[in-house]
Amino acid sequence: MAEFIQQVVAGLGDGAIYASLALALVLIYRATHVINFAQGEMGMFSTYIAWALITHHGWSFWPTFVFTLGISFLGGFGIHQAVIRPLQRAGELTVVMATIALLVMLSGLASWIWQPDEKVLDSPLVGGTWSVGTVAIPQQAVYDLLVVLGCVVVLWALFNFTKLGLALRASAVNPAASRLLGVRVPWMLSIGWGFAAVLSAIAGLLAASAQFVFTPTFMQVVIIYAFAAAVLGGIESPVGAVIGGLTLGVTINLLGTYLPGQITPDMRLPVALAILLLVLVFRPSGLLGRTLVRRV
Amino acid sequence: MTARRLVPGVVATLLAAAAVCVLPYFLSDTHEYRFAFVATFFIAALGLQILTGYAGQISLGHGGFMLVGAYVTTILSVDHGWNDLSTIPLAGLFAGVLGFLFGFPALRLRGVYLALATFAIPIALIALAKKYSDFTGGGGGKPLTRVLTGHEAYVTTWPIAGGMFVLGWLLLSGKLGRAFRTIRESEIAAVSSGINLALTKTLAFGISAFFAGVAGSLYAIIIGFVNPDTFQIELSLLLLIGVVVGGLGSLVGVVVGALFIEYVRLYAPEILSWVEAPFGSPLDPKRAGAPAAVYGLILLVVLFISPSGAAGLLRNAYKSLARRAYTLRRT
Amino acid sequence: MRMKFGLLAAALAVAAITCVTALAGAQAPPGVTKTKFVIGGTFPLSGAASSYAPIPVGMKVYFTHINARRGADKKRGVAGRQIVWKYYDDGYNPANTAQQTRKLVEEDKVFALFGGLGTEPQQAVVDYLNQRKVPQLFVSTGATEFGANFRSKPYTIGWQPDYFAEGTIYGKYAATNWPTKKIGVIFQNDDYGKNYLEGLKNGLGSKASNIVTEQGFAVTDTSVAAQVSRIKAANVDVIAIFATPTPTIRTYATMKALKFKPEQVIVNSVSATDTFMKLALANADAATLDGSISTSYLMDVQDPKYANSAGMKLFKAQMAKWAPNADANNELFLYGFAKAYDVVKVLALAGKNPTRGRLLYAARHMNWKNPFTIPGITVKTSPTDPFPISQLKLIRFNSSTVRWAEFGSLLLGRGGT
Repeated sequence: MAEFIQQVVAGLGDGAIYASLALALVLIYRATHVINFAQGEMGMFSTYIAWALITHHGWSFWPTFVFTLGISFLGGFGIHQAVIRPLQRAGELTVVMATIALLVMLSGLASWIWQPDEKVLDSPLVGGTWSVGTVAIPQQAVYDLLVVLGCVVVLWALFNFTKLGLALRASAVNPAASRLLGVRVPWMLSIGWGFAAVLSAIAGLLAASAQFVFTPTFMQVVIIYAFAAAVLGGIESPVGAVIGGLTLGVTINLLGTYLPGQITPDMRLPVALAILLLVLVFRPSGLLGRTLVRRV
Repeated sequence: MTARRLVPGVVATLLAAAAVCVLPYFLSDTHEYRFAFVATFFIAALGLQILTGYAGQISLGHGGFMLVGAYVTTILSVDHGWNDLSTIPLAGLFAGVLGFLFGFPALRLRGVYLALATFAIPIALIALAKKYSDFTGGGGGKPLTRVLTGHEAYVTTWPIAGGMFVLGWLLLSGKLGRAFRTIRESEIAAVSSGINLALTKTLAFGISAFFAGVAGSLYAIIIGFVNPDTFQIELSLLLLIGVVVGGLGSLVGVVVGALFIEYVRLYAPEILSWVEAPFGSPLDPKRAGAPAAVYGLILLVVLFISPSGAAGLLRNAYKSLARRAYTLRRT
Repeated sequence: MRMKFGLLAAALAVAAITCVTALAGAQAPPGVTKTKFVIGGTFPLSGAASSYAPIPVGMKVYFTHINARRGADKKRGVAGRQIVWKYYDDGYNPANTAQQTRKLVEEDKVFALFGGLGTEPQQAVVDYLNQRKVPQLFVSTGATEFGANFRSKPYTIGWQPDYFAEGTIYGKYAATNWPTKKIGVIFQNDDYGKNYLEGLKNGLGSKASNIVTEQGFAVTDTSVAAQVSRIKAANVDVIAIFATPTPTIRTYATMKALKFKPEQVIVNSVSATDTFMKLALANADAATLDGSISTSYLMDVQDPKYANSAGMKLFKAQMAKWAPNADANNELFLYGFAKAYDVVKVLALAGKNPTRGRLLYAARHMNWKNPFTIPGITVKTSPTDPFPISQLKLIRFNSSTVRWAEFGSLLLGRGGT
């Protein structure tokens, strides 16, 4: 029983990271109907910026955290304006290719600028364990969960209780009408990308802390889980992304613990992908998405 | 298609074929070896072109089908004594069937969802190749039976590339090709004009996977060694980038794409080190070149300048030349 | 008439000279002229494995030193021949290794290949090189297969102590000093980790049953919490970590997070460099790392006891002279330097008229001391022993000084006692 609780908590911690990145994916998809394949690498790049500030310039963690989120926002905003907007009229395939170009470029740039050797993030988010009776609760998992839930609450409040949030939602749902009402739609969409970049930066910082040591490829595994989570929850549903992420994290952890023979370490990723595939086939709109019926 | 519209394509193809036959006399063995790789990328990119450029289905996982072809060839020739060349059709077929089977669940997916799903293919296959190491030699890889010289690699791969090109051209110029293009333009229109969407889409997957399997098989033969990590996601992305840079929907563009894949991968680190050359002494360890940064940037530039890739540029150039010739003739 | 005769004489002379030089040229193997040796290698200068890029640079610094100084025979270079060192990037991709190796052999016409890095990349070209009878010497990998297959692949030879030998040393030490202690192993479930594990069992011999749990993980895993917690649950006295650097650092951090510190920690040498231990300290703590045991065969660049040795002084002086912006404390530079020393020795032993055959003979009959290895180590090969360096010294980590210290005597990983 103790083991079960431990694994569930650990799974929630992992799942929180997937949820954060999945939320970023959903945000972008809702706003611009683009799946940003580069989301993971954007988070990776932000993490390297944070690392450089802490390690080479002696900044302490929390100011770096805030600064990195700010830079990431600008980065996401800028990428949407400079790369996505101009290419959107060229069609869906072109935009997909553009995000792939970004994925490849960011990965290469990070290797080139900061070198691909192992790095450690000096982060207070790496904790020990609390002992509650016989159960050893990993502190890391709890921190991750709290940070992500905090983000979700902040975003929810933003979207539902502020004018900006209203404008963002309107731009995503009906750009034409929003424009008529004086909303600067392109700016709103870029702001959406900015927030998504912030979420992926958070995912990156949490993942780098959880993985203890990272290299430029450290987000590649996370983005796959995040895709699976986003699809599982419903690519248009933010709540779904979070629930999907948490569910995925717990499920994979439990499967790995109780079926160690079949779900060996290198089978975990294929299992996540199998889940992704199954959901895509049988319920493409995910657990919480709306089923779109196309009528001709 | 009228004869006149065919002419430029046929002329270009004949010129290319002539070039391929003549080139060995001018190239050293080392360069012939490199060109053999161009041939394998050509075949894989051809398959991807059929799926993505013609049928409009994005695949981010074609490296996975190359892996399948490579391992079929390796296992049959090393463990079962087959002649390595004779394994090629079977390798292609095996990959093709796998692609076809993947096509079924993929039917439910459109556009970016499909791209997401294809992402999974190489990752899953690499994990499987590492797990069943008794068959595959595991992560450490498996050497093949013979070592080819550069010239042998060239004359093995290019005739097959030529044959695959003809095969692709035949497929695409017939009913199937038209069906593919219709699906790409509008699935709804395709269905209403009587095309069996499900069958056509799965066929597109199967055929393109067949091409990739053949390419993978040749890849293994000319390297003389196979290991799972060679087929990581970077390879699949590079194939797609090559096809886009060459020009989606253009068979001629695939040649440009194949050249791009081979030579950018080989020379990108050098390009980057020229950028750094002014800094530091020549014996300082160079910064890890990151080829990925180079081809990502090239892709982005291509998307902005000429979304239909190199082939688009060539076509526009040809058109403006033809127009000028026409107006000259008229005056 | 006279002019015609003159022309004929001139033509004959030219023909004669051409014949002689052609014949002379035909006798000299590729990569060897009167004034130079052309040698080459492939290394991952880009991509994920590019942290090994300092190795060919370290080699280059040593070759530059040899080319510039006058040796005992008053000549520069190797017996008057300058060393031309060509190395290319293969990005740790066997497809690129195959292409770059052929370039070296067929275009650059190198005499021999030295130091090629990477198990899979070098495996990809073993057949090609052996078929062409091009020596593939001192490959930079500890994979045992490169030495073990020497009968079928005589042109291929390793250099550093192989992983099996290192594992054997840990096993022998454990069997002698900890005969009743329970051992838990966390290992990378690929050839790398398994090689070490087999060595450990080999060294333990009859005490192999002391290993009470073996926990494997995939190199792509981002967490080893499950494996470490299972080892903790088995109540082991010794944990052996056989993993590449990233998972090793992760294991230490996880051990700290789970408050698990057995009596002894064995960590494989590849992942135990000062750089990696420092990184491990950041997320683990001094207590977890303190007392960790590993092995070494090269002098520690930062150990004050070696500061005045001839080898270390030469290394530091040459690095400062030719690569002033490089961090000489990076052990990989010394690794390259040490390897280059053996390269120069075998080139010299190939004689006044070197051939590939003579070079290979020299490489299979090595018997000398390398000034950059720990004193006492002999670089030795024979027709029945294809592993040049098989001796290791145990080292223990001191968390307060963040340094490794040698202890005990030199141990033999393979071959006779």
